[in-house]
Amino acid sequence: MMTRAWHYILDHALAVPIGAAIALVWANTFSEDYFRLSTSLAFWVNDVGMAFFFAYALQEVLETMLDGGALHTWRRAILPVIGAVGGCLGAIAAYEAFVISGDETILRAGWPIVCGVDAGISYFLVKSLIRGKGATAFLLLLAIASNTIGLVVVGFRAPLVDKRPVGILLIAIAIVVAFGFRKLRLRSFWPALLIAGSLSWAGFAITGLHPALALLPIVPFFPHAARNLDLFTDQPHGAHDSPRHFEHVFRVPVQVVLFLFALVNAGVLMRGYGTGSWAILWGSLAGRPLGILASVGIAVALGFHLPQNVTWRGLAVIAAAALIGFVFTLFYATATYAVGNVLQELKTGALLTLVGGAIVFFLARLLRVGRFA
Amino acid sequence: MTLKGSASTLRVWTAAALLTLAVTAASLAQQAGAAIQGLPNKSDSVKFLAMGDMGTGDKPQYEVADQIAKAYKTFKFDTVIMLGDNLYGSQTPADFVQKFEKPYKPLLDAGVKFYASLGNHDASTNIDYKLFNMGGKRYYSYTKGDVRFFVLDTDELDPAQRAWIEEALQSSKDKWKIAYFHHPLYSDGGRHGSSVDLRVILEPLFVKYGVNVVFSGHDHIYERIKPQKGITYFVSGSAGQLRKGDIHPTELTAASYAQDQTFLLVEVGGDDMSFVCITRTGATVDSGVIHRTAP
Repeated sequence: MMTRAWHYILDHALAVPIGAAIALVWANTFSEDYFRLSTSLAFWVNDVGMAFFFAYALQEVLETMLDGGALHTWRRAILPVIGAVGGCLGAIAAYEAFVISGDETILRAGWPIVCGVDAGISYFLVKSLIRGKGATAFLLLLAIASNTIGLVVVGFRAPLVDKRPVGILLIAIAIVVAFGFRKLRLRSFWPALLIAGSLSWAGFAITGLHPALALLPIVPFFPHAARNLDLFTDQPHGAHDSPRHFEHVFRVPVQVVLFLFALVNAGVLMRGYGTGSWAILWGSLAGRPLGILASVGIAVALGFHLPQNVTWRGLAVIAAAALIGFVFTLFYATATYAVGNVLQELKTGALLTLVGGAIVFFLARLLRVGRFA
Repeated sequence: MTLKGSASTLRVWTAAALLTLAVTAASLAQQAGAAIQGLPNKSDSVKFLAMGDMGTGDKPQYEVADQIAKAYKTFKFDTVIMLGDNLYGSQTPADFVQKFEKPYKPLLDAGVKFYASLGNHDASTNIDYKLFNMGGKRYYSYTKGDVRFFVLDTDELDPAQRAWIEEALQSSKDKWKIAYFHHPLYSDGGRHGSSVDLRVILEPLFVKYGVNVVFSGHDHIYERIKPQKGITYFVSGSAGQLRKGDIHPTELTAASYAQDQTFLLVEVGGDDMSFVCITRTGATVDSGVIHRTAP
């Protein structure tokens, strides 16, 4: 029974919603206990644990690009990437417009936060509404591209001239070490993870770059095997089952990390809303879907084609599903602002983007898309 | 006029003269320092005013400022601690005049120094505004007599600031340690309430290093919290803004008021800190003495 429940949680990516629900209830009942725990765990979860999550996500994306993987040809990815760029620009513009219309200028630095798209929840929404791989693949690619933009901006926005050379040197050594292991044709990822990964993490921490991104320069040197673009299901048996394969070993630990991430970061006080919350919601709700639709519209006008079996009405539903930022928005918020009132507001905004779920269903019904057709 | 009549008139005039003298003497005595009940008004004490969420530029802010100017005539404080949201809306040079320099002109002219903390409505560039005396810093510290003030920026309590406050508190040997910042660690205000995420970080430091009193704003009310782990907390966020009736007293509440704008007058002398909370119309709604216990 417990095993079945555990597998159900893993297969449906429920670790995050469960962690978030516990955090919300806890933060609003035994606030001091909750914040004491979340403060003490924040470093280990956000700066250390999340490094494995991002490594895991990158590993999956890289494998979809291998020969035989779902993204082996870039042509398939170009339209979702255009949509992601348009979505990010639209969300940032809407966020900034909202902030500028008020007087809380401290929020202006938070624009990268609205680049976040929660691939997990959006994916399950679209999958439950629209049959066929075209829609889910488009959404996942869009989410990956959006989050990549967000990660690059959040992780590297501090001017490089301020960085300490020792940190940059450590990162360079880490890459060389990982490359060396690859050249030696080691079939296990462990040496690269433990040695090069540790060096890289230290380098990121010293330079002031976000340590959660520290494994990203190392992952390309891990052993890979091509995979389908269906990130939340088991892949066919083969190379992915190998205990030497990163994805196989870290599938469960990453879910635990995500549970802890939600537990540590999603606990906001019910009265913790404010201008920052509305700015996030406005950027995600209005800016991103419009940006996606506008950019894809322009691309199609220039000669690109919509994915197979995806209509314009279907695309509107996909664009609406992409407004949910949740985990990634939470991460970007914690990476951008320190503890305080502003962060509380932005986290509340990240949680509020979950209203996107209801909007997606309403829109699908209104436009008679997928199961409502 | 008979002699009897003249004597009667003389008595009336004498009585009137004595009465006038008595009234004048009472008035002079009041002006000399006994006017504001609850404040000893000693010559060698540290006197300051605390106010938050004031910079609206609207009529209530000016009316509070008038009341402050009246209080200043009898209670000569030399310091104003600003608890954040010092300016709302646009923050151009003209706004600094309209929302700060004009309402508090009598104090500025008298040489009273304002020391600001940043609220969520304050532009970060305000740290360079000369009359806020922040020295270009988001968080800083200064001393007045036996009192050391620690000013924090709770919009973002970053690791550097946390390290700074711990070091500053640890190295302070002052008799009184008073911290102030915008977001309250304890508040029964209905809109915002307590910033528990900040409390779990700051309170242990305040307790460890003997902070006596903490002032905050953000909730547009007045509230005094019963001492928590030996520290008295004030919420004074209604010197311009007011969220009328937005207080839900709990077992933490020692006193509260949310029917009108307020400010706090404070006097620290020896081991006692006296305080009086005054409304826009001049009524006293809370007063008391906090006795410092030696660490």
